[in-house]
Amino acid sequence: MARTTRSNRARVFSAAVLLCVLLSVFVVRLIDIQVVRADELNAAALDRRSSTDPILGARGDIVDANGVVLAGSVQRYDIFISPKQAVLGSREGIKESDPEIDAKARAVLTAETEALAAPLGMTGASVLAIIDAAIAENPDSDFAYVAKGVDTEMFRAVADVDLAWQYAKSRPARTYPNGAVAGNLVGFVGAEGEAQAGLELGQDSCLAGVNGEEAYETGADYVRLPDTTRVISEAKQGGTLGLTIDSDLQWFVQQALAEQAQATGAAWGTAIVQEVKTGKLLAVADYPSVDPNNVDGTEGDDRGSRAFAASYEPGSTFKALTSATVIDAGQADPLAQVVAPYRIIFPNGADVNDSSSHGDDRLTMTGVMIDSSNTGMSQFGERISDEARYESMKKFGLGRESEVGFPSEDSGDLNGDGPSTWDNQTKYATMFGQGLTTTAIQMASVYQTIANNGVRLPVQLVSGCTQSDGTVVDQPETAGTQVVSPEAARATSDMLEMVYKQGWLADQWNVPGYRVGAKTGTAQMPDGNGGYSKGYLVSIAGYAPADDARYVVSVSLADPVNMNTSAAPAPVFQQIMSQVLKKYRVVPSGAPAPELPANW
Amino acid sequence: MSDNLARNSEHYARPAHPAAAPTPRTHIEIVPSREQRKARPKLAYGLTAVLGIIAIIAAQLVLSVVTSQGAYDIAALQLQQKEATRDAQILTEDLDRMKSPQFLAANAQALGMVTNANPAYLQLSNGAVLGQPFGEQGTSAAGASALVPNALLNGVPLVTEQTPDAAAAEAPVLTAPVPVAENGSDSATPTPPVTPQNSPELPLQNGIPAPSTH
Repeated sequence: MARTTRSNRARVFSAAVLLCVLLSVFVVRLIDIQVVRADELNAAALDRRSSTDPILGARGDIVDANGVVLAGSVQRYDIFISPKQAVLGSREGIKESDPEIDAKARAVLTAETEALAAPLGMTGASVLAIIDAAIAENPDSDFAYVAKGVDTEMFRAVADVDLAWQYAKSRPARTYPNGAVAGNLVGFVGAEGEAQAGLELGQDSCLAGVNGEEAYETGADYVRLPDTTRVISEAKQGGTLGLTIDSDLQWFVQQALAEQAQATGAAWGTAIVQEVKTGKLLAVADYPSVDPNNVDGTEGDDRGSRAFAASYEPGSTFKALTSATVIDAGQADPLAQVVAPYRIIFPNGADVNDSSSHGDDRLTMTGVMIDSSNTGMSQFGERISDEARYESMKKFGLGRESEVGFPSEDSGDLNGDGPSTWDNQTKYATMFGQGLTTTAIQMASVYQTIANNGVRLPVQLVSGCTQSDGTVVDQPETAGTQVVSPEAARATSDMLEMVYKQGWLADQWNVPGYRVGAKTGTAQMPDGNGGYSKGYLVSIAGYAPADDARYVVSVSLADPVNMNTSAAPAPVFQQIMSQVLKKYRVVPSGAPAPELPANW
Repeated sequence: MSDNLARNSEHYARPAHPAAAPTPRTHIEIVPSREQRKARPKLAYGLTAVLGIIAIIAAQLVLSVVTSQGAYDIAALQLQQKEATRDAQILTEDLDRMKSPQFLAANAQALGMVTNANPAYLQLSNGAVLGQPFGEQGTSAAGASALVPNALLNGVPLVTEQTPDAAAAEAPVLTAPVPVAENGSDSATPTPPVTPQNSPELPLQNGIPAPSTH
């Protein structure tokens, strides 16, 4: 009886101990799972059922003055395949080699690749080659691109083929609906969407978007579970960059420039339309010009904008600046008289001659401008100090980058740090636009200043960056500076009108019904070795209507081998000026220009 | 013992196991009074509570099912939205490249249009002609070859190159009667059709004859 009780007790006791041990094991395990490793396990569990997706922060558009999209963001698709799955699928999972199965599988695969290739505009053989190459390199290859950047229509056609081993991934891409219109300004982005040139690069901080990220949980069938979406980081949409360019005018200017540049065999050319009273650039054309949709179709050197990035010796268009400066200093007026010989050797040894031989002409300043006499202009230019001319050039905006801040914009070169570094020849050459360099934009700005009663306005290309929240930043400066007196500007303008009326191109650049002020330039071009080449940079800068100037047009052609004079840009100037005046409904001039004598 | 407890005397009387102590196993119960019986919770309350819980669980289940169904609806709609966005994008891209100046100019030229290089204006207040209307007949700039390329237009046919089917679709627009400009601005045509709109009864507004509209 007592033994029974003892064994009972022992059993109960051992059972209790066992129970306790078991319980403590469970408790330890529980604490381990629920407390110690809780975070880790929760994360792992969430990971199993949750996905993260990027929230697209799209790159902003570039639009012209009227909101026409010059650069926009679109979705493109990369089509890729799993070579391994393609082969396995065609063999229906059978791995063993067998001639009959091999042949059958090959036939299936060929048919499938042809079906896939057809909507992509490829051949079945080329897709098959991609698969074979990938398999040869790695039999377990699970990834190979078939096509990159296909558009939505093609992507849908491919998706309709419905192959188990074909996938697609969407990615943002850039499109330029107007092609080469303003392509020189807009620039382009690389294959991975990175900004490479033009405003795409220069204004990247405005345009770039930042992708966000969201996480959500899915069920077994990848349907989002309700109320599980949470935003990890917000996306930042890129801003819309507004330009002052008018895309229609830009097209016309590019077309007119390209036509004449090809006809005259020019190496390159620029044409600019600037609004006199605001400083806005309405068109900046370059020839050749890049089509951002097809960057490879253009030579590397021709993909930017030479209007901003190339400086050259402007030649005689520069005489307007010298005249305005001398008149502003009170040292001359349009009727001031000089005797202009073909050649002058100045006391400091500078040797100046005109482009064609002539006798001693008794010219007024107006006559000097009409004949574009270097000897005459030198005699006016030396009436004021070199320092005064240098200061004036700087006030006209030369020798520094324009306010636009275009990527790789050239500042031009006023031949060193000023008159102290000019040699004797340069002191005179700088009076008629040699021995210093300017960009086409800077020359347009000089004429804008003269046309605008001596007030230079900051050059505008970007009208602002409209951010995704609607605020507009990067608005350009609009405060002008009085460079020369209104009287000096008016007097210079009167002379430029006489150049337009009586210059040798009067018939070719005639814009009926309007008063126009214009000046030609035929500048020698450097040969790259410190001397001058045989080529010329021919240009015309002018504005209309001269009685109340509204638009500056400036055209330059570099080395037009078929017509090496400033007659080459004349038709372009005439066409662009006519188009501008018509487009903006400028009322034709009433009173004729005042007559100024050229000789005495 | 005189109390009002009921006892099972039979059980009480039966002798227990001889070894065990004669512990009396009496079942004692308090007989509730009428008040107590009244105060006791009724079955209905319990039932209500249980049914309520069941109802709540059932409702939760239904709601959960509906929410899940909603998730599928949302997924389907989001897919639909994605496709619609793609449609919109295709159309916008088409429209944008059709709007490009190159395409418009090429079409205009294909239709035999030229640009007028010499603008002229008729000042209505005094009939003066501003500008010189008879210069060159047109400018070549609008045309010759496409010197401003646009890779997006490769393979896009001009209006004059469209297939008969596409042209037929356009036909109703072309054959529709061309409405005569109502404000007399068509006076530039050599022989303006005499229509009521061109009658001199139109009032002059700022020198421009215009119908009074509301």
